[in-house]
Amino acid sequence: MTALGFCDVRVSYDGTEAVQSFNDLLHSGEWLCLIGPNGAGKSSVLRAAAGLVPYSGSIAIDQKEIPATSVRWRAQHIAYVPQSPQIPLDMSVFDYVLLGRNPYVRHFAWESKHDRDVVGGVLDRLDLATFARRPLGTLSGGEVQRLVIARALAQEAPVLLLDEPTSALDIGHQQQALELVDSLRREQGLTIVSAMHDLTLAGMYADRLVLMHQGARVAEGTAKEVLQPTVLSEFYGVSARVHHEDDGTVVVIPQRTSAR
Amino acid sequence: MNRNRTWFVFGGVLLLLAMIVGTMIGPAGPTWWRIPLEFLNRLPFVQIDSGVSQQDWNIVWLIRTPRVVLAAIVGSMLSISGASYQGVFRNPLVDPYLLGVAAGAGLGATLVFAFQRGATENWIVDPLPLAAFIGALVAVLITYVVGTAFGATQSTTTLILAGVAVTSLATSIQAFILQRNTDVVRQVYSWILGRLSSATWGDVRLVLPYVLLSTGVLLMHRRLLDVLRVGDDEASALGINVRRVRLIVVLAATLGTSAVVAVSGLIGFVGIIVPHAVRLLAGASYRMVLPLSVLLGAAFLVFADIPSRVLANPAETPIGVVTAFFGAPFFLYLLRTRNTST
Amino acid sequence: MNKLTKAGLAGLFLSLTAVLASCGSSSEMSSDTVAVTADVFPVTVGDLTLDAQPTSIISLSPTATEMLYAIGAGPQVVAVDEYSNYPAEAAALGTPLSGFEPNIEAISGYSPDLVIISYDPGSLVEQLSTLNIPVFVAGAAMSIENVYEQIEQLGVLTGNSQKAIEVSQTLQAGIEEAVASVQFSDPPLSYYYELDNTYYSVTSNTFIGQIFNLFGMRNIADNVESGNDYPQLSAEVIVSADPDFIFLADTKCCAQDATTVAARDGWGGLKALSANQIVELDDDVASRWGPRVLELITTIRDAVVSANS
Repeated sequence: MTALGFCDVRVSYDGTEAVQSFNDLLHSGEWLCLIGPNGAGKSSVLRAAAGLVPYSGSIAIDQKEIPATSVRWRAQHIAYVPQSPQIPLDMSVFDYVLLGRNPYVRHFAWESKHDRDVVGGVLDRLDLATFARRPLGTLSGGEVQRLVIARALAQEAPVLLLDEPTSALDIGHQQQALELVDSLRREQGLTIVSAMHDLTLAGMYADRLVLMHQGARVAEGTAKEVLQPTVLSEFYGVSARVHHEDDGTVVVIPQRTSAR
Repeated sequence: MNRNRTWFVFGGVLLLLAMIVGTMIGPAGPTWWRIPLEFLNRLPFVQIDSGVSQQDWNIVWLIRTPRVVLAAIVGSMLSISGASYQGVFRNPLVDPYLLGVAAGAGLGATLVFAFQRGATENWIVDPLPLAAFIGALVAVLITYVVGTAFGATQSTTTLILAGVAVTSLATSIQAFILQRNTDVVRQVYSWILGRLSSATWGDVRLVLPYVLLSTGVLLMHRRLLDVLRVGDDEASALGINVRRVRLIVVLAATLGTSAVVAVSGLIGFVGIIVPHAVRLLAGASYRMVLPLSVLLGAAFLVFADIPSRVLANPAETPIGVVTAFFGAPFFLYLLRTRNTST
Repeated sequence: MNKLTKAGLAGLFLSLTAVLASCGSSSEMSSDTVAVTADVFPVTVGDLTLDAQPTSIISLSPTATEMLYAIGAGPQVVAVDEYSNYPAEAAALGTPLSGFEPNIEAISGYSPDLVIISYDPGSLVEQLSTLNIPVFVAGAAMSIENVYEQIEQLGVLTGNSQKAIEVSQTLQAGIEEAVASVQFSDPPLSYYYELDNTYYSVTSNTFIGQIFNLFGMRNIADNVESGNDYPQLSAEVIVSADPDFIFLADTKCCAQDATTVAARDGWGGLKALSANQIVELDDDVASRWGPRVLELITTIRDAVVSANS
């Protein structure tokens, strides 16, 4: 059953086409990672799905097309984790994650006990329960990253969009965040689309990669299929070696072009 | 939650205290401690001899009390309006006059003063508050149309800049008119500084419906303003129609602000000081800031009106001067603490 | 006694009572000029009715203050505004109320039974009415006739109509005499009337302008800016018009006089300067429309007469 489908999705900014005819079908529990150089259109695809930029074509969840007019319906089905989230420094952790319940709260009403319980559960799952009353300004970068994921989880949406979830994290926190997302995916059957710069990590966690270049899909497949030196050189302009580990992990190693 | 309730009680008590003290202090009328007694005496079934004559009571009830009540209404409206603007524009330095309300109202008032010399008060409907009200609304309308017409981006910066442009335009037209009608300069200037000295029960009745409507709508949006704190994009992804919420909040705040500006002129600083003071006390969540701004804003202006009528007795000190006197140092303090914290 | 006699006796009795009652207010009984009975209250002027003679009057208009003291109502005045500096008795009251930003409580603190204002800055009339304090609006005069009218109205309201009529008639006579003593020039003498040192002036449509019209003088500010009776002239306009007279109404506010005018760049060649026809006026006298308007008129007359000779 198709959990998320893109059909001829195009995005234009000021006349230039940022995404040309993007088509894809993901089944429930699948993790698709978009890779490609800066300006390839990865973020635009995610932002279109999140309803932040206008697009032509259709995006469907469980074969139901997202109604253009209902922001609430969209928020109940798609959770978006932005690249650089805005963090109100004096908001408490609990209140921040509570924002994720907004799609379920009536416009002028207040959150219910159920909403608060969901938030409590999410905080427990992500080891943030002890921080519940602390203001966001007192958290470290890694904790904030977990927090933004927590908020997305509170939305209880079947689709999760991650825009560069690890770019601002150190190697330890990168691993933490991705492992967390993966385990949640397996627990709850989340469908995930992410955009990432780190090709090795992308290959390690995603089921499928799609390489984008100037708005078009130029390569897709497993990590082994897509992450090839020739492909990387053509579209990234990078000179890299690709190493295959025994367990199948594909590691991309950029080469120095000048002598040390 | 208990802490929140404490703040509401505090705010309510402070407001009540302000209003009682406000009615007791003035340059004339009965001795201060007789006044609460006479208020009690006026209640049905209560009989207390307070020693207040009818003439003195008239001063308290017909002159001073409407003034205190109007101060409360204006103070609360400006405060919640300022807080709401700060919420939709995510900028703590925004005040309720941002999008051209002040300049539009000033221009409307100037037009009335310039072209209606003589008996405007004899008209069935006093054109002065009406013109100020319409001027304010038209200015904001123009700001909105101009600010959202360019590009699909819903940038708040564009809107604010449009407000600046409309303000400049209105102010220069006003200056042009004044230059040709210098005999009304004094009246216009005194209107601009803001006053509660001419408050009547009629003024209270005039503004109350707008203020109640406006405050009601704004209070209903306080949870949504909290969601807006994470930015337009994220709020949108969380299921808020950001543009619509912003429009409604701006409309409601402008309606209420225009109404109070129409009867009391431009009283500055209230819309910035009070929400900030509330944030310092009770936290930055709009669920607290909005309702507390209503209570504390009302109390603040009632208190500020007291020196306004006794400081330069028997003359009046424009209340805008009093609020600026407290407002400017507070503003500087705010800027200092913000700079050291970020 | 038949009915006629009864009526006659009643009438005599009434007028006697009235005379006795008003003896305290009017200073003298004039039997010659105008046949007017002594004041009888209640009186009505416009839509204001006073039931009894007011004894604690507040004036928030400097002009009204001057009129009140001129018609003998001075003892009835308890407070005046901060700008009521003439006559000295008014200034000596030491009650700096404001006519522009009136503090209604302070005003009512004097328990006035009549408040006189020249304009309503906003709800003042309404507020005073709610306190049942009678208020009379003696607005800025548009013509000399207005001046006589206001003097007489104040006379009626304060119970001094006898004296008021005298003052008014003396004023009228004085003005007529001043005007008659002047021969109109042909071409008419031109003048520039200066309100302040940024060259704000008045046209002949204003009260001041009409005074100058009495002497057949031509105002250089006319037709400079249509629709605006208080235009700001530019130095060029003034210098190129080269008026015969320059009247300075900014001697007090802005410290202007003949020497400062002479010192202005480009003004050196004006004929008003060389002919010594720069007239310094007292700001207050020039801006009010009370009995001292006669002073203003005599000053102008003197200037014109010496110019003609």
